[in-house]
Amino acid sequence: MRTKLGLLACAVAAATAVTACSSAASSGTSPSAGDGLSAPAAGALDGKGETDITFWHAMTGTNGETLKKLTDQFNAANQGKIKVTLAFKNNYDDTLSAYKNALKGGELPDLLQVYDIGTQFMIDSKATVPAQSFIDVDKYDVSDIQPNIAGYYSIGGKLYSMPFNTSMPLLYINKDAFTKAGLDPNKPPTTLDEIKADAQKLTVKDASGNTTQYGFGASLYGWFLEQWTAVAGAQYCNPDNGRNGRATEANFASDNNVKLLNWWKDMVGSGLALKLDSDTKNGDSAFVAGKDAITLESTGSLGDFTKAGFQVGTGFYPKINASDAAGPIIGGASLWIVGKGKDDAHKRAAWEFVKFLETKDSQATWHTSTGYFPVSKGALDTAVDKQWVANKPQFQTAITQLQSTKVTTATQGCLFGVMPQVRKAAESAMQAAVLQGKDAKQALTDAAASLTQPIKDYNDSVK
Amino acid sequence: MSRDDLSTERDVSAMSTVSNTTFTERPPDGPVTLTDSGSVSPSVISRWNPRELLLTMLFLAPAVAGLGAFVIFPLFQAVYLATMGSDILGNPTRFVGLQHFAELLTPDFGAVLLRTAGFTLIVVVAGVVLPMALAVPLSQRLPGMRVFRTLFTLPFAYSASAASVVWLLMLNPAMSPVNWLLQLAGVSAPGWTTDSGWALVTVAGVTVWMVSGFNLLVLAAGLAGLDEQVLEAARIDGATGVRNFTSIVLPMISPSLFFVIVTTTLTALQSLGQPQVMTDGGPNGATSTLVYSIFNQAFHNNNSNYGLASAQGLVLLIVGVLLAAVQFGVIERRVHYR
Repeated sequence: MRTKLGLLACAVAAATAVTACSSAASSGTSPSAGDGLSAPAAGALDGKGETDITFWHAMTGTNGETLKKLTDQFNAANQGKIKVTLAFKNNYDDTLSAYKNALKGGELPDLLQVYDIGTQFMIDSKATVPAQSFIDVDKYDVSDIQPNIAGYYSIGGKLYSMPFNTSMPLLYINKDAFTKAGLDPNKPPTTLDEIKADAQKLTVKDASGNTTQYGFGASLYGWFLEQWTAVAGAQYCNPDNGRNGRATEANFASDNNVKLLNWWKDMVGSGLALKLDSDTKNGDSAFVAGKDAITLESTGSLGDFTKAGFQVGTGFYPKINASDAAGPIIGGASLWIVGKGKDDAHKRAAWEFVKFLETKDSQATWHTSTGYFPVSKGALDTAVDKQWVANKPQFQTAITQLQSTKVTTATQGCLFGVMPQVRKAAESAMQAAVLQGKDAKQALTDAAASLTQPIKDYNDSVK
Repeated sequence: MSRDDLSTERDVSAMSTVSNTTFTERPPDGPVTLTDSGSVSPSVISRWNPRELLLTMLFLAPAVAGLGAFVIFPLFQAVYLATMGSDILGNPTRFVGLQHFAELLTPDFGAVLLRTAGFTLIVVVAGVVLPMALAVPLSQRLPGMRVFRTLFTLPFAYSASAASVVWLLMLNPAMSPVNWLLQLAGVSAPGWTTDSGWALVTVAGVTVWMVSGFNLLVLAAGLAGLDEQVLEAARIDGATGVRNFTSIVLPMISPSLFFVIVTTTLTALQSLGQPQVMTDGGPNGATSTLVYSIFNQAFHNNNSNYGLASAQGLVLLIVGVLLAAVQFGVIERRVHYR
């Protein structure tokens, strides 16, 4: 009786194309057949009436409003064919948690937005259709996508998800403070040594010896350590930042990074830098309040910074050594099309929406409304975008920085299934060295060592 | 002697009275004759009556269902998960035995426990003494005291996250009103969330602020209920000031005090929002308490290490039970119930 029921269950499962029994039922057949993870042909929507798809995202405030505007525009143009419903999932972590839970038995979205460091996990979740699959089927022209941005989401030359909201780190300066200190406000510092030299002139104390303005002040954000490493052209994880086969080891305990943390420690210890924690909101408000004159932040903060009561200047993300010749890594999030349990029409509808978001006009709207870096090269040439950049000349630094960064495994960035944990561990090491006065080398080595087991466990479980 | 002991005794005596009367009223044949101890309740007689049994089960069902779904099942689930390794989605996939418990035998986890103890101690001591210090003057019958009592009670209405965000702004390194006041007083402000020594105190301080409102409410109610006659008798006997407080007032409000200590201990042990929002467990884990650590392993940073998190959860359960045992076994003996 039990075997009969089991067979029946398998038959039902097979009939509804659920993969639950596939290992038993179809052992030996190729995995691509019927697993739902390849792109359907362009005609998948024909004769289907209206296809409703759900998009899980984590955009708040202006970003959320702009996304809504673009979605409405798409829905209006595709009336009777595709209808996109936005579902807001608080933040990136919650979006990913919801996706995990849905995979364990729940309603999956058709499309979801996942942060950069979730990329390897998304590939390993084996439930999405690689963007490359659609690109191949459609002969979609990818030459308009900024190669550095596509680079982050490409592994082995295959684009897994479509980049969407993209940002980059920059160095920000308070130009007024520079002028007051007798420094050239059009020459932001480019190396650790230059930041220190400028900070010595920028640090201001009042009569009773309290520092009213620090030369430097940046949040101890784990993302920054990845950026310093990339600018130095070094790999953050071995081998090859996980770009050619799985990464097995965190590599951030390098001499360069030791030098960086010792420098940072010294800056704070000698009163040239404001002591900040890892919460970038604190770092941002300190800069806007004029508490420090040089800071590090993503391009996304430019809008808020320009509202400060002083002139803001931007520079390339600084180098640890003057000889460092590579560039920073892009950050942000990308769009993943879900294949598991979805019919061809839904997959195709999700892709059509993604293609719309990637067009140069959508990206120009997105860029000028939110401050995110446009994914499309052509967006920068549209009239609306040109005017925006003319009003915010500080953004030109980001464009030049991106264009002058060569795509290598170092600037593509490190891929780990447990990348969020890796970032957090690096952040703890930064805190240990700068805030707790621990030996920088020891702090970085300990943090890297603490990751060995989680990395191994993860890699073993997806073998 | 505690109230529980007293009440149990009273119940027992009441029961025996009932059974005695039953004995005299019922004929000595039937099932009663089988038990001749004299202290059997009448319910025993009909214990196996199917109608009674059905009714009993019917009445018990809602409570058992609730308890089962929200207490007993999760407990066994935690024990099960603690012995399992999981895949990247958090599905338990392989049996690992006691490996997760072995992983707890590290200096790191020892530090987490120690930190939790320190945090709980600060919160309980300050979170009880401070409202007490406020409640005593507030219980004086002076004009305007109602307003103050309401104001001091308000933090009670805050959620952990909201309170944390508000205090983050208050202590923001760039424009902190608290630092400004300190500077006016000639004190240079510490790194509230950046100094490892201060970070735990800051997070504990916000928790104290949060629990103070409720504790003040309970203690003020205790003070308001004091028996005037006893106080007057004490005054006539010459008890004043500190002596009056420690020997008369404190014993009389000890039930409220005990209640406040127990609830504050539980609140402190279970605090998550404060370390999560204010410091994210940092700097370098300096505010990573037991519950934060569980949250971190299970849900934070795309972790799905439910096995280790469950093992830590069981440790929290044991800590909670031990503390409750100490509080009810030792401290409650000193509580005076009228």
